[in-house]
Amino acid sequence: MANPSFSSPSFFYLFSLLFLLLIHFSRSALVHAESHFEGFEAEDDEFDDQSIDPTSLRSPPLTQSEPHTTKLTPSDPKTPDSDPNPSSNSDSQSSDSDLPKTSPTTTTTTTTTFDFWDEDEFEGLPDEQPAPEINNTAGDSKSADNSSDPVVSAKAENVKGSRSFTIEIVCGSFLIMFAINYFTGKRENENLALAWAAQFATKNSIFEKNFSLLGIGEGGDDAPLLLKEGQTVFKFYASGRRYCQGLLATMELKSRHDLISRMYNLIVPTRDEISFEVYMNDEAMDHVVFAMAKKKAAKAMQKDVRDLQRFANLVSPPTGRKWVAEELAVISESKEVASDLITETVLEQVFGDKAFDKFGKGFISMHFSDQHPGIHKKVLLFKFVLPSAKNMADMTRLVALVPYYIDLIGRYKLSSQARSKTEAARQKAAQEAQKELQNARQEALQRKKAERRKMIEEAEAKLSAEAIRKKEAKDRARQMKKAMPRVKVSRGA
Amino acid sequence: MSSHGNASSANDPRQPSAAKPYVAPVVAPQDMPIDYAGFIAVVFGIGGVMFRYKLSSWLALIFCAQSLANMRNMENDLKQVMMAMM
Repeated sequence: MANPSFSSPSFFYLFSLLFLLLIHFSRSALVHAESHFEGFEAEDDEFDDQSIDPTSLRSPPLTQSEPHTTKLTPSDPKTPDSDPNPSSNSDSQSSDSDLPKTSPTTTTTTTTTFDFWDEDEFEGLPDEQPAPEINNTAGDSKSADNSSDPVVSAKAENVKGSRSFTIEIVCGSFLIMFAINYFTGKRENENLALAWAAQFATKNSIFEKNFSLLGIGEGGDDAPLLLKEGQTVFKFYASGRRYCQGLLATMELKSRHDLISRMYNLIVPTRDEISFEVYMNDEAMDHVVFAMAKKKAAKAMQKDVRDLQRFANLVSPPTGRKWVAEELAVISESKEVASDLITETVLEQVFGDKAFDKFGKGFISMHFSDQHPGIHKKVLLFKFVLPSAKNMADMTRLVALVPYYIDLIGRYKLSSQARSKTEAARQKAAQEAQKELQNARQEALQRKKAERRKMIEEAEAKLSAEAIRKKEAKDRARQMKKAMPRVKVSRGA
Repeated sequence: MSSHGNASSANDPRQPSAAKPYVAPVVAPQDMPIDYAGFIAVVFGIGGVMFRYKLSSWLALIFCAQSLANMRNMENDLKQVMMAMM
């Protein structure tokens, strides 16, 4: 698999290549790897030798060739190696280059017999096996013969060797780099995740103060805090707090361990993100559908996220009240919810104009809903950008938003007016959902019926086909019977 | 957020009795993220064998390594790894 191009269809080319390789085998270290093919080809050669007697090849040197061809023949072996790819005209070249291989076998030391060889006679003839075995000395004797040539041919060999190995060198070094990057990137990601955990989930940190169970274990002090899911995904679980069942933080880091996606990320940059999912208790969350994000993202969310699309709208900033920073947009079911959830404290700490410039860099989005699709219906979602491992404290205020909103929403009760409105909307939605469910069920039922009908029809068709076949068989038998006596008669006669 | 931080520490929000251990969500095999790298590796591998093209085989090897690197914990099956390496 490593060198598939070497098993080229042209046998002669291969053979000449083998010859060249063996000539320079002792000289250039580069050829070392290619010598693996020696054994591979020898098998082929032996097969050919059985069909053609090598001795018959030795007789012909009676016809004379032009004297100047001798000059050509030694230089010929160079030509195929300048072009490593098997080409259509390489056949004629290789047949030329075959010549020196056969010559040393006839006369191992005297190279003069060269002159009496007619190349045309040997075109298409396979070479003898013993040639490559002696050729170490034969090659040397040949190189001694014309002293200027071997240097050139050796150079050409080096060029050819390095060229055919460029792919291997490049790919091999890439693989090595990939492996190194895998381990360094893996450690980088782990360090980032651990830095986050050390900042927010150890003793006297935000999560330790707010949740009684930290980490994925069954409790205990040395239970693991983080769950590693793949090389880029780390999960942190916390539970045991009022108003909520649990919190799951998922860190999705850059694919630092993967060199290819790392290069891809140079073109399309991504960020390390952390998303919190808080599963609220059913009785602790009123009808709230609320989201906040940067303006562009908010519009996209309003279009794409189902519950926002159904229940909520973009809320324009109210007059005569402090509101969130300009880059942010709020989506909410009603103005009341929006203004109740964006409190003075939050504006002062994170989302106000001044504070957002300072602390809001890592904010992506926030989404609260009591109509979330999935197992948990009442969910708070937060999405932030993770800062680098050293500056983990930068996102403290953002993380502090999480428990703050759990409390805020846990205590929050809608006014009766807004409640009736939201109730109507939810009932409508529920009805629609039920209708959809019914439709789906009906459809499934119909499909089942149709299937059954089809099955029955098929079975009938099969039965009838069988009946027809039986009938046909009977008819044939009857006809055979009719035909039989005549045959017998004819035989009898 | 010190103001409400103080308030919440005054009356501890923690409720150890309500703590639930983490239950990993079950993911159906068809919902798994698609292993693009593995697919590309197979395509290049077949290309490499069919056309006897060296570079293609090497690329297959590289993408195979990528697919291996991106393997998730849950599917980390020794048998699978062995098959992939073949």
